[in-house]
Amino acid sequence: MSGDGGPATPAPTAAPAPTAAPAPVALGTSVLEAWEVFRQEKDGDPMRHGGSVMAPDAELAVHYARELYGRRQESVRLWVVRRGDVLDLDDPDLLQPPLDRSFKKPGGYVMRDKLAAARAQSGQAKPKARSK
Amino acid sequence: MTDPLALEPILGPLERGRPAFNDAPTHDERFVLFEEHIAAGLKIEATDWMPDEYRKSVLRFVEMHANSELMGVLPEREWLMRAPTLRRKLALTAKVQDEVGHAQLLYRVAEDLGKSREAMFDDLLAGVTKFHNVFHYPTVGWADVGMIAWLVDAAAIVAQQALRDSSYAPYARTMRKICWEESVHIMHGRDVVVTMVIGSPAQRAAIQDALDRWWGPLMQMHGPRSPREKDRDLHWRIKAKTSEELRQEFLTIYVPRIRELGLVIPDPELAYDEAAGEWRYAEPDWDELRTVVTNHGPMSQARLEFRRLAREETRWVRESILGVAAAA
Amino acid sequence: MTGTVAAPPTTGLADLLLSMADDEFVIGFSDSEWTGIAPLLEEDVAMSSIAQDELGHAAALYGLLARLAGTDPDAIAYDREPDAYRHCRLLDHGRGDWAMTIARRFLYDSADSVRLDALAGGGWAPLAELVGKIRREERYHRMHATAWLDRLARDDGEGRPRLIAALETLGPDAATVFAPLPDEPALVEAGILEAPMLDLEVRWRTAIEPVLIEHRLPLPPPMRQPDRARLDHGQPFRWLWGEFTSVRRADPGATW
Repeated sequence: MSGDGGPATPAPTAAPAPTAAPAPVALGTSVLEAWEVFRQEKDGDPMRHGGSVMAPDAELAVHYARELYGRRQESVRLWVVRRGDVLDLDDPDLLQPPLDRSFKKPGGYVMRDKLAAARAQSGQAKPKARSK
Repeated sequence: MTDPLALEPILGPLERGRPAFNDAPTHDERFVLFEEHIAAGLKIEATDWMPDEYRKSVLRFVEMHANSELMGVLPEREWLMRAPTLRRKLALTAKVQDEVGHAQLLYRVAEDLGKSREAMFDDLLAGVTKFHNVFHYPTVGWADVGMIAWLVDAAAIVAQQALRDSSYAPYARTMRKICWEESVHIMHGRDVVVTMVIGSPAQRAAIQDALDRWWGPLMQMHGPRSPREKDRDLHWRIKAKTSEELRQEFLTIYVPRIRELGLVIPDPELAYDEAAGEWRYAEPDWDELRTVVTNHGPMSQARLEFRRLAREETRWVRESILGVAAAA
Repeated sequence: MTGTVAAPPTTGLADLLLSMADDEFVIGFSDSEWTGIAPLLEEDVAMSSIAQDELGHAAALYGLLARLAGTDPDAIAYDREPDAYRHCRLLDHGRGDWAMTIARRFLYDSADSVRLDALAGGGWAPLAELVGKIRREERYHRMHATAWLDRLARDDGEGRPRLIAALETLGPDAATVFAPLPDEPALVEAGILEAPMLDLEVRWRTAIEPVLIEHRLPLPPPMRQPDRARLDHGQPFRWLWGEFTSVRRADPGATW
């Protein structure tokens, strides 16, 4: 299958850590830098990250995105974004805070024993699942 | 439809999104957490902290792969001009285009590890970094084009499929895209070979001759046997299978397909040992492999020189799109 | 392609189809020479797609001819002597450097676009239908050629002088896409070709002059030797012919 969604890997917008991608190559008025490409495989699908291309400007970035992620008619839509314009959030304190939040998820409501008690009390069996 | 009563797993510290080793206070602590992360089958992204050994190993692995895709274009490129039908010309052009595309994808992965494309080209042309043995040999006729597209690509794809679950996630994702694209190449190659096998006597003879010349390099391609415990690339799960596992897999799938065409594999010792559950074969010439990958193969220098010239001839174009006033 | 196709309403159609098919075939070959050695990896993939498109157009046009003549498209594409090819002289110059390739693409794509527009009218349905599809693919080629012409023209390094040199070399042959064809009046009469080639040449010049003038680039002069424009093929094409026929000639009649 073609490129998996997965988390995008944009360069940090702050001062680059040692693990950052190389700085864009600036040799003049244009800059050769990475552009991220998102693709939609078929109508109605979400945009998924495909990969990136190196290009000096938006016009060629779109052209190259079409080539690397669309020349086989494998995409119906592409989004092309300069890597530096992608905002990256991976702070676990914001995305995976430590205190219990199970009340926000279906798994936080376990009623198995309570339902068993209610059925025993009413003498009713568990209802059969309805097929769609 | 999702069952609303399905329990969600409670995420442990290793699965909480941003891996813990990124924030541990000392290098040693980060290293230990990193190893646990890898051992648990979890993935690394370009922006994660990495031990130097891991970063260097991934970069070396990906860079050699990228170099091989780039150099792999050359044996087939000269036959683009000579493809004998419109359809073959289109198919071969598309295949070689894909190889360039794969080089682009792989160099991108390596660039995001901190090495520039120009530096990688410099190292390739200076012989500091290497490319796979099979691309150091000449292609002498159209039969070679079929044979390479079929069996060389087949041997490569056996290795590439095993990389789809690499611990380095950008590489793993790229390998999934590459594997999907490569499946067409093997079909093209096999079609060319089968067409010639059932064609004229000259065509049949050319195919057998091509097999005779390419079998040796194919058997060397996955590399010499090495013990699993000593392989650091396996330890870091950059790759998942040993050289021997890949070679056995290749033989299992492709020996029957070669023989069903009435072709003779030029190794009288090649046989499947039922008791041991593996193929036996004449020992590949590891000296030849060593000689070839250190750029002493029949076409190594000629192809590197060709690349050097092509790069020089087009330097002005790269400078032009970057707005440089005068050549360096 | 199998099956018969409706008989053409006029003479001259085979010459028209052959000239177009050979144009697309030869430029597709030249452009495919960049595969593996283009200036940027991403550009390598882009130019290769364009070359494949042109070869696909050639294959479709040879296919139409083959159905008319009752032969096979590969035989038409590959089994002629060099002097029997009918591509225009613009495409006889050999690949050249990147500036030459871009200059040729710009000149050819703009001319081909005018030619295709003049064929879209529908005098002969199979051709009109094919032209409709080809025009949609050609938009992408024009975008690419224009993007590069613009960049090279504005470059204060080697790009601009090389582009100018390429346009000056190709200039006298640029209009050969519109060299008058045998039986052209019959094609116009039958509604296959909307106007004579000389009129199309004027339309083409009108279309490209603003772009060239804006970038202060040389305009193509009048066509040199129009009556030989599709006939005399020099060494670059003979070399190419030697290459693309070599495998077939080594085993004539074989199936590949």
